[in-house]
Amino acid sequence: MAADLAELQEMIEAALPGAAVEMIDEGGGDHLRAIVTAPQFVGRSRLDQHRLVRAAVKSRMDDGSIHALSINSALP
Amino acid sequence: MAANPELKEQLEQALKDNKRLLLMKGTPEAPRCGFSMRTVGILEELNVEYGAIDVLPVLAGLREVTAEMSDWATFPQLYCDGQLIGGCDIVEEMQSSGELAGVLGVAERHSETTTTATVGVPTPAADLPPYQSPPVTLG
Repeated sequence: MAADLAELQEMIEAALPGAAVEMIDEGGGDHLRAIVTAPQFVGRSRLDQHRLVRAAVKSRMDDGSIHALSINSALP
Repeated sequence: MAANPELKEQLEQALKDNKRLLLMKGTPEAPRCGFSMRTVGILEELNVEYGAIDVLPVLAGLREVTAEMSDWATFPQLYCDGQLIGGCDIVEEMQSSGELAGVLGVAERHSETTTTATVGVPTPAADLPPYQSPPVTLG
């Protein structure tokens, strides 16, 4: 099942208001990369930055729409 | 649902026994996932000792354990001194920024030690695999 990139982008933006999000399909529609710049990342470790992004799309990881999610997180 | 307590105990023991521990899909010789392979490649670049656990035989159970322990449910996961460092992305970022060697407690360069003073001294076998712990299995 392929993921809906626009929906995922919206999910991350909704969870992290003010974030700039780019979703990239790196293969097969379920190996994705999220490039996220978010004000909520300030003062947080990389681990926590990634946790925030994963939590936002957890339902799509759990239902198998996303098989693998790479994350590049950056501070605004 | 609580994570399998036996599996959790085994992982905690493995974390105590291995300063650096990689939870990966497959083995360092035969990674079964591109992200695990990339992480192994970085550890090899650093020429650092580490223990490796193939998570595939216990994938679902171990996911619950690490979700509970570290709030992290995807593999690979690299730990040092019992602390989660990160998955493939974070390990790659820390390698590019030069932070990783320090976090893992390895000296970045050994070039200054390869001077004449070592002449005649047998050098450690260079063909040893960089991970030297016996294979660790869970489950």
